[in-house]
Amino acid sequence: MYKLGLALAVAFAACAQVASADCRGHRGDRVVLYSTTDDPAVLVWDSRARLREYHAATFDAAQAMLPHAILVGPGTHATVVTCVSNYVESPVFHHPDDAVGVLLLAGPQRGLTRWVLGSDVRLVQAPRP
Amino acid sequence: MKNEPFANITGTLLMTAFLIVTLAFAVEGTFETRTQLANTFAREAQIQQAQMQLEELLRLQIDEENSLRGYLLTRDPFYVAQYRQAVAGYDNTQRAIKRVLRDEQLLAARDQLHQYGLLQSKWRTEVAGPLLRHPRRRLVELDKRNKLFADYETRAVAAIRETLAGTDAAFVRSTQSQVNRAAYVRAFWVLVFGLLAVLFNVYRSRLNRELEEERTITEILQRAFRSESIPLPHCEVGSAYRSATNHVAVGGDVFDVYRLSGTHALILIADISGKGVDAAVLTAFIKFMIRSIALRESDPAAILAEFNTAFSKAVGNPYLFVSMFVGVLDTASFRLEFGSAGHDAVFLRRRNGVEQLAVTGPVLGVMEEPFYSETIDLDPGDTLVLTTDGLTEVRNREGKPLSGTGAMELIERGPVHAQPLADDLVAAARSRGGTRLRDDLAVLTIRLMDAQRVDV
Repeated sequence: MYKLGLALAVAFAACAQVASADCRGHRGDRVVLYSTTDDPAVLVWDSRARLREYHAATFDAAQAMLPHAILVGPGTHATVVTCVSNYVESPVFHHPDDAVGVLLLAGPQRGLTRWVLGSDVRLVQAPRP
Repeated sequence: MKNEPFANITGTLLMTAFLIVTLAFAVEGTFETRTQLANTFAREAQIQQAQMQLEELLRLQIDEENSLRGYLLTRDPFYVAQYRQAVAGYDNTQRAIKRVLRDEQLLAARDQLHQYGLLQSKWRTEVAGPLLRHPRRRLVELDKRNKLFADYETRAVAAIRETLAGTDAAFVRSTQSQVNRAAYVRAFWVLVFGLLAVLFNVYRSRLNRELEEERTITEILQRAFRSESIPLPHCEVGSAYRSATNHVAVGGDVFDVYRLSGTHALILIADISGKGVDAAVLTAFIKFMIRSIALRESDPAAILAEFNTAFSKAVGNPYLFVSMFVGVLDTASFRLEFGSAGHDAVFLRRRNGVEQLAVTGPVLGVMEEPFYSETIDLDPGDTLVLTTDGLTEVRNREGKPLSGTGAMELIERGPVHAQPLADDLVAAARSRGGTRLRDDLAVLTIRLMDAQRVDV
């Protein structure tokens, strides 16, 4: 039982490593949120599944999902908690995008952990010592 | 042999026709390609125009949103006017793009544009309208909806952009393909044209070779058939010949001076209907047959009659006939006995003028008619000028023939001596008829000399 638990833990850790290998952000990265659509505000989602559904859904279906999202202004600071590469697919994306779990650091939703699209995340360069 | 010239002309005409048809196909193909390319370029230009209009549409959509934001921030009615202007611009541009997509039958892009238009219209109703009416009531849910519209409109524009870019790329590929095809087709026609030109050249070379062979043969025949200048006692003989056949120096005219005895000479000139090598071959028949008859018969009428019978039986062609003058000249007494079978181009130049010798019977090879002989006494200094109708019928530029009278005038003022006179008559005929004669021309001149001044 102990060996099985250890094997599962090692496998999970390996998978998580592979999944986040080429992600837009890594745990602990400081980022700002900024959308590349016409409206630079960013929708942050309560689950990565809804994030994926939103980008694959029809307009009406997407509209029905809006209560599960909050809108944060462009430039909102956050920290990357986790990242799942190539998780979000959409008919209009040429390649799948990442789902990035972030901890919001500013604004009314400060302290919340939510999911955003990889292309809405901009890394903040740490100042050199 | 008779059909060869016709076959040669037909072959040349066919080859030329092939070349012209090939050239016509090549030219037609070029014009068709040009039309196709022009059409493709026009359609490609339409698509590119639609692509630019789509970017303009996107700019107008952002103008609408920015105007709305400006109004919400400042409450300045200027932004409302700007918003309405952007709305009108958006709708006009959208209609223009729809027309292009309809013309180009890009149904998928047209549907996407329609969806895009519906989203924008819905945004105006659900987002812009409430905010314009109640600018203070800016709700979070409204902002989220605005974001939703922005996301989906971005998707719609991306889809349309992709469709148009795909179509544009397809046109580029099509243009490239047309250009390639045009190049291949042109190369093909150039190849065909070149091959035909080579074949044409080979064909012409073959014709030229055949003509050269024919020329060689006829030159041999010419040497064999034509009479050399046979000296006659107390006479000066001249002759000239010009064939109507451009490349062959023999034809259907024949003349002969043949010594039958020490004092008597046969004088012959004849004109066979027809020209060229066929007629030339007959001249040999005539010349040697008349000689052989004349060795037995001294009466020109009898010679003509016997020849007429033999000729009709030997040739058997009802369309072939011969005009002939046969004379037997006594070079001692200067008495000339002659018979003329329809040959009226024989003249006698005397001190007091030129006279035309009479025709004494019909042409040979047509009917069995009696022939008659006449006798005239000549004087020293008289010149017999025997020609064929190539002289009397030579036409000037106005188409008027020289006629017997004109020939007599030429002979009267021509050179005294026999050979210069013959040459002069041929030159006069060429001068009158142009460089190319329409009929063969033979001239035989015999000038009677004083007995003491002639070497025999």
